[in-house]
Amino acid sequence: MSAPLLELSQVSYRYPDGSVGLKDCSLAIQRGSRNVLIGANGSGKTTLFQHCNALLRPQSGAVRYAGSAVDYRRAGLHELRSKVGMVFQNPDRQLFSASVQEDVSFGPLNLGLDMATVRQRVAGALQAVGMQAQADKAVHNLSFGQKKRVCIAGVLAMEPELLILDEPMAGLDYAMQTDLLTVLDGLHERGITLLVATHDIDFAYRWAERIHLMADGRCTASLNAQELGDHSQALADIGLPQPEVISLYRGLLARGLLPAVPAGPAPRCAASLLAMLAATNHPKESPCKIA
Amino acid sequence: MLIEQAAYANRWRPVSPAAKGLFAANALIAAFAASTPSTAAIIAAVLMTVTVLGAGIALLSYLRVSAPALLFLALGCLSLAFSIDVGNGGPVLQLAPTGWHKLAEVGARSLGALAALLFLILTTPLIDLIALLRRLKTPELLLEIMVLCYRMLFVFSVAIDETLTAQSARLGYASPRLAMRSLGELAANLTLQVWQRAHALHVAAQARNNDGPLRFIEPVFPHARRDCCIAALAGSSLIALALVLR
Ligand SMILES: Nc1ncnc2c1ncn2[C@@H]1O[C@H](COP(=O)(O)OP(=O)(O)OP(=O)(O)O)[C@@H](O)[C@H]1O
Ligand SMILES: [Mg+2]
Repeated sequence: MSAPLLELSQVSYRYPDGSVGLKDCSLAIQRGSRNVLIGANGSGKTTLFQHCNALLRPQSGAVRYAGSAVDYRRAGLHELRSKVGMVFQNPDRQLFSASVQEDVSFGPLNLGLDMATVRQRVAGALQAVGMQAQADKAVHNLSFGQKKRVCIAGVLAMEPELLILDEPMAGLDYAMQTDLLTVLDGLHERGITLLVATHDIDFAYRWAERIHLMADGRCTASLNAQELGDHSQALADIGLPQPEVISLYRGLLARGLLPAVPAGPAPRCAASLLAMLAATNHPKESPCKIA
Repeated sequence: MLIEQAAYANRWRPVSPAAKGLFAANALIAAFAASTPSTAAIIAAVLMTVTVLGAGIALLSYLRVSAPALLFLALGCLSLAFSIDVGNGGPVLQLAPTGWHKLAEVGARSLGALAALLFLILTTPLIDLIALLRRLKTPELLLEIMVLCYRMLFVFSVAIDETLTAQSARLGYASPRLAMRSLGELAANLTLQVWQRAHALHVAAQARNNDGPLRFIEPVFPHARRDCCIAALAGSSLIALALVLR
């Protein structure tokens, strides 16, 4: 495996009021992967993200991007922030221009691109999140979910290598969540590395390649999603349940409704579990057989 | 907020703000160039008709928006009409010598100017106006302050609204005593929020690689040239009207 795209080693950060943000936190993100960060409220997810974008500077430990330590001087910051895009948890804290189009143009203009390219990028980003019809609307007239989409567009327009989203699904309705997932999958196909904070273990299991668990300002474990079933203790340690699909799958196995020697990897969503069930012949089925 | 709604919903929203600005400027000149009070009043009436019928602003909202300004204007005129004479034996309120004529002139002109400005702000959202000002090379700092204030205005009206609701929901305003207390807490809380929000916006700007002036793209208006021509024509005919009518 090559050097990780982003790496935090033993990072500690304490807020001025004394509360612990991060404590000896280590984490590695591989290029091109889909990552989920999951942990209780106040476990330090947002704080960790702010270190990824150099909005906070570690008090001890180091952050490395693409193999080299982050340079906290002006030019270095510009370089890092043009590669690492961050979508904030609360859209009202991210949007500050009056109109949708203006806000999305803010990042690309800061990159020093010319007007024509900026227009192109703004249109592309709005298209990607399905907000092109609202391009001229005022930000304060949008719904919460729409604001969230504008936030995402504002970062997409900068075409980052690593996109960090702080609880992007919170507050979105089912349709918007599905749309957002489609957007994220599209980005992943374009080779963009994704890091998403969430509280939803089922979503994490279904979507991610790597799942990073957080508690009390530390990353307690980084697991391949595929192997999550073998690490229920790590989940229990930070107070999370198993994904429902795993419990269900185990239950079906225990009752002999699925073959004991599985044909493929364990299912990661309800749909693939159902498909597995449908593909299995059930010898003990139909109790009312005519003798 | 009424202004805001009208500016977004009116029929002339897609018209280039440069054209609307040009027309409003012409109308202002016309109002000042009007030689008699009745001419200025006619111009005010024309502008009002254009705003209500042309741009499709509801008459009721037009009147409601203009009411405070009209009240202010009326007060100003009243103070012009009378003068206090402190000559012999105590102050006496009397009709000012230049009284009625001056009054009508100033009043009618102000009315015209008011109608011109109302036309502009009721048909053009502030975001378009700011973009226009930027094109006219208004100092960057001033524009940034405008943008941030405008955005914060809405963030805060929501914050006040939410805090008030949250306080009332827990009986914060049940008695005058409680109301005083809650109001104090609201003020304290808002102060803190102002500070936090300002900081948050700064962080957000940094996250998107900002290190100096705030830059945004300008909206494109497809028929800007045509719109400006029409506006120039309409505007100059207003001025002509003001000069011809005597
Ligand atoms: N600006 C701040 N000043 C002081 N303490 C802070 C500040 N921001 C966060 N903290 C503290 O740092 C710790 C980690 O907070 P953080 O916001 O990173 O958690 P989180 O995992 O993002 O939580 P959530 O799921 O609620 O978003 C918390 O204990 C919090 O109280
Ligand atoms: Mg958070």
